[in-house]
Amino acid sequence: MSTTGAAVALELEVEQTLPMPLSGSLRCGPGELVALVGPSGAGKTSMMRVLAGLMRPERGRIVVGQEVWCDTAQGIFVPPQRRHVGLVFQNYALMPHLSALGNVALSLLHLPSTERAVQARRWLDHVGLTQEQQSRRPSQLSGGQQQRVAVARALAREPRLMLLDEPFSAVDQMNRQGLYRLLADLRRELSVPIVLVTHDLNEARMLADRLVVMDAGQVLQQGTPASIHNAPRNARVADLVGIQNRYRGQWLGAMDGAPGYGRMLWMGGDETSEAPILTVRDKGKIQSGQAVHWIIPSDGITLVDSTAPRMIDASDWDAQVLEARHLGEISLITLALKAVPDARLLLTLSGPQRQGVGVGGVVRVRLDLSRVHVMPMRSR
Amino acid sequence: MDWQALVLSVELAAATLLVLLPAGLLLARWLAYTGFKGKSWVEALVVLPLVLPPTVLGYYLLVSLGGGSAIGRWMVDTLGVRLTFNFLGLLIASVVFNIPFLVQPVQRAFEAIPRNLSEAAAVSGLNAWQTFWRVELPLAWPGILSAMVLTFVHTLGEFGVVLMVGGSIPGETKTIAISIYDRVQSFDLAGANQMALVLVLFSLVAVGASFFASARLAVRR
Repeated sequence: MSTTGAAVALELEVEQTLPMPLSGSLRCGPGELVALVGPSGAGKTSMMRVLAGLMRPERGRIVVGQEVWCDTAQGIFVPPQRRHVGLVFQNYALMPHLSALGNVALSLLHLPSTERAVQARRWLDHVGLTQEQQSRRPSQLSGGQQQRVAVARALAREPRLMLLDEPFSAVDQMNRQGLYRLLADLRRELSVPIVLVTHDLNEARMLADRLVVMDAGQVLQQGTPASIHNAPRNARVADLVGIQNRYRGQWLGAMDGAPGYGRMLWMGGDETSEAPILTVRDKGKIQSGQAVHWIIPSDGITLVDSTAPRMIDASDWDAQVLEARHLGEISLITLALKAVPDARLLLTLSGPQRQGVGVGGVVRVRLDLSRVHVMPMRSR
Repeated sequence: MDWQALVLSVELAAATLLVLLPAGLLLARWLAYTGFKGKSWVEALVVLPLVLPPTVLGYYLLVSLGGGSAIGRWMVDTLGVRLTFNFLGLLIASVVFNIPFLVQPVQRAFEAIPRNLSEAAAVSGLNAWQTFWRVELPLAWPGILSAMVLTFVHTLGEFGVVLMVGGSIPGETKTIAISIYDRVQSFDLAGANQMALVLVLFSLVAVGASFFASARLAVRR
């Protein structure tokens, strides 16, 4: 049931303006799970439709394993019927007039009808549907069970590429855990590329090896969840992946006598106070005077004792607690810095650190400046 | 009771359905799935026989198919077939005036099928023909069934167009509706009453049965 391929199992390049703008490239290895993330209308589902062959791109190229599925330059377009894609639709798109078994058997029309039933049953057993459930129609199954039928139908296609379009959106939280496990099992069994479309960032980070961040039809950045989180390409990507601690600054240039370091003004104060200067890592790509955005991941921010010794690459600030929301095991804290009145620091606290943090109280925070990522502001 | 007229009407209804169903299915599916410039005009043309007075429709059919028309003359000269005042003429007229009764409900039935089902079928490997047989047709079936019943019953009862194009030739063009009219004209109210009652009962049972079947099909989903 698995296919062996080269190191890259899926390569996609697409470039179009009509009927909707869509551009970017995508690579996915065998057994790798790539998540397309972005707001609605970002082009995630269009990208998936291009991969499945349901939409013909203006210009583009798709290679899966050794097969060219689409190459507009050479006039190649393989229709969906001959692509062997396992596609789990957003609302499953199960045939309402067929039983679960009939739905899966639909993917197996090339087999004689007795063999078809046997195989369909096998796939439904595999995703954990009982014999009784297999003979029910979709409307008589729960959301989670319908999704399992959709997965079985996709698997029965012996796919060379698995596509999952918002597969968990119609399933409640409890059933999701079971389906996450099913997906994990799938990845182990199938060594085909898997592309997941989701608007749920936590889900994407948890399930995917790599994220592809899309906005307005464009691929903005792709990489591991950690790499995108630590170094988003621009402010838009930072917003899209949910980085909250983003600030404005002005780059002052490399630091004399300390190669690899540069200095930056932290903007966001009122006119009376002077903007503080931060010393951060410098890759030498930003010109002096350039306006910048910069971010710091929440794990680069810690509460410290006022007596804590100072450290290299760290700077300590006095801050007032503006808001403290206690959610079960964790607390979400919003801080205002005295030195930069407009800036807000958001951090998550757990364990003993939560004690003694109350609204209006003053705390001392330490920013790990080695985690600061600076992005030049560009007018696009 | 004019059994000959009743049998003729049933034959005409069956023949109409036989001719109209395949073409109507294709037209309805095409209208349901494709958008193009001027589609509203095509749809208006489909509905036209429904809103025109039957005499107007009959008149134009008579003028365009009769012996004096180019089509009518050509048919007589080359094939030796007349297109008016016989069963064939009746059938042509019947097909034309039933177009909206068949096409409209079938078009709605196709339109009601979620588009992603056809896409799911394509991704599952089904070609267009297999998708039509295994997905679209079963899902549109309740709509198609009621359209068929409607067309059949409507043909049984049609009067104006039939009279214009077919006249009232016993065994050839004298349908049950015309036979009822003739009875009334000759003050045979008892005979008219009998046939009218048969038509009412038959129509009621047919339409009722089709609604019942559609509702049962819908519940099974």
